[in-house]
Amino acid sequence: MHKYLEIARVYMKTQLAWRADVIFNMIFTVTKILFAYLLWGLIFRERSMVGEFTFHGILSYYIVSSFLSQLEMSRSVSGEIHERIRNGTFSKYMIVPVNVEGYFIFMELGMIAFYFVFDLLAAVVWRFVFRIEFSFASDPVAIVCGVLTAALGLLFMVELNFWLGILTLKYQGIEAFLMIKNNLMELATGSIVPLALFPEIAVGVMRCLPFYYVTYLPAMLLTGQCGDEAVTGVAVIAAWCVGMQLVLAATWKKYIRKYDGVGI
Amino acid sequence: MNNEIITAENLSKRYRRYKKREGLAGSIVSLWKREYEEKTAVDRISLSVSKGEFVGLIGPNGAGKTTLIKMLTGIIAPSAGRLQVLGYYPNDMKNEFKKKYAVVMGQKSQLFFELTLNDTLRLFQAIYEIPEKDYRESKAYFTELFGLEKLMDVQVRTLSLGERMKMELMAALLHGPEVLFLDEPTIGLDAVASKQIRGFLKEINERRGTTILLTSHYMEDIKTLCGRTVVINGGRKLYDGETETLFERYQRNKRITAAFSEPTEVLWNAEEPVRILEDSPCKKVYEVPKEEGKRFLERLMSYEPTDIGIEEEEIGTVVERIYEEGAHA
Repeated sequence: MHKYLEIARVYMKTQLAWRADVIFNMIFTVTKILFAYLLWGLIFRERSMVGEFTFHGILSYYIVSSFLSQLEMSRSVSGEIHERIRNGTFSKYMIVPVNVEGYFIFMELGMIAFYFVFDLLAAVVWRFVFRIEFSFASDPVAIVCGVLTAALGLLFMVELNFWLGILTLKYQGIEAFLMIKNNLMELATGSIVPLALFPEIAVGVMRCLPFYYVTYLPAMLLTGQCGDEAVTGVAVIAAWCVGMQLVLAATWKKYIRKYDGVGI
Repeated sequence: MNNEIITAENLSKRYRRYKKREGLAGSIVSLWKREYEEKTAVDRISLSVSKGEFVGLIGPNGAGKTTLIKMLTGIIAPSAGRLQVLGYYPNDMKNEFKKKYAVVMGQKSQLFFELTLNDTLRLFQAIYEIPEKDYRESKAYFTELFGLEKLMDVQVRTLSLGERMKMELMAALLHGPEVLFLDEPTIGLDAVASKQIRGFLKEINERRGTTILLTSHYMEDIKTLCGRTVVINGGRKLYDGETETLFERYQRNKRITAAFSEPTEVLWNAEEPVRILEDSPCKKVYEVPKEEGKRFLERLMSYEPTDIGIEEEEIGTVVERIYEEGAHA
């Protein structure tokens, strides 16, 4: 385990190498919240509730979901694998005595750890700047389930992106797969519009997809909503993680022998 | 006692590569009708390497050297043949096996460019599970050997290619591998840095007993370091034997370059087995048989050149000669 923690630590250190990047990343967490503040401010001018949200409730949701979205950086995993397989430098990960998937999970963890600290700080600052009466869940079960769902959701996303990345071994080009995944993500994570504002049937479909549990459900649980979905949410995303792991292991075993290391 | 740590029998690697007709029409046609051709990168190579050997692997570009190294390290799977390295089948990619070897590829880095060497070494300590005491000893030894004392806390991306190569070697050797695979470690380095790297490799082989397999385009690397050389071309093994014998037998000429401060005409007998490669007023380049070298050089010195350079014959020429003569050691 120590080796994987060291991998996380190294990637956290690489995030701290560039000062301007750190500062601008913190500043730009505000854009989504600012956009939500202006948009929902207009909508709430004439009413006090939209769906089950109050103005401050929806801004709380945006802060939490924006915070979780910032932490979801797994697209770099598929990008890195895809690029390295294509240019023949994926061997960097194959020659060291580590589990390659584990390497990427902890690489992601190291990057998340860095953003977790700085984005959390930013979220707290914006809460005071926008004077949001933050509505946070009071039910401890909902909080624990919210945190667990978020963690498993992030793990699922790393698994998914690792799987998409290693599909390069078979297909060479995986851009179409990535595009489909990204579009589904945008919609199903509720990062554009909260899913609670969608028709029930659409939400029902989304509930079957893992993306629902990546930022949307954790954000709702942590802001005191969807409490009845807390436990099932953890179970569903955990099942997705296990299923994805099985698919991933089978794909790795089948395709890794196709790696030809051609490139440089 | 059998000292062999690498044994390969009839090892082959075949690739399938996509062929496309020229132009946009060819690209469109290729969408539904793909043509592939098979390329044999390594063709039935048999090889054995004993513990502590320093073996050079030479051949022109595309000869199959790197593919062979990739198979020996498990990066790619052979298409046919039998292979064992340190008692393992490399492509099983077992962690116990990976802890016993190291590979340094001149154009592929294991370093983190945004971080310092110290950061990378700490990661490698954890990955290879090196006890703290061994880590400190190993680090101190290599830091001194490579002269990296002042560069341990400097961001890697700001360093020169030569400095980075020393760091690559240090990171690779930290866990005390039994076998070190080196794929063109001196590529792009200047003469001084190349010489330093050669010195370090010699010491590691002699003092630590590390078995080394080195591919290089530079004759100097092979001549200075490797007691044994394997020559491959077109995926096939052409020569496997003592380096000294190889050069004795197949490297027949020297290239001599002379520069003069003013236009000079060098007179020579047309019957002399000397070939002029360049003949400008102030610079002459000759190809001279090895045994004639001394005599020719003495005569050339009588014209008082301002500079003299003596180079080995290019690796490609030597390989061509071996190929033409179909030699096997």
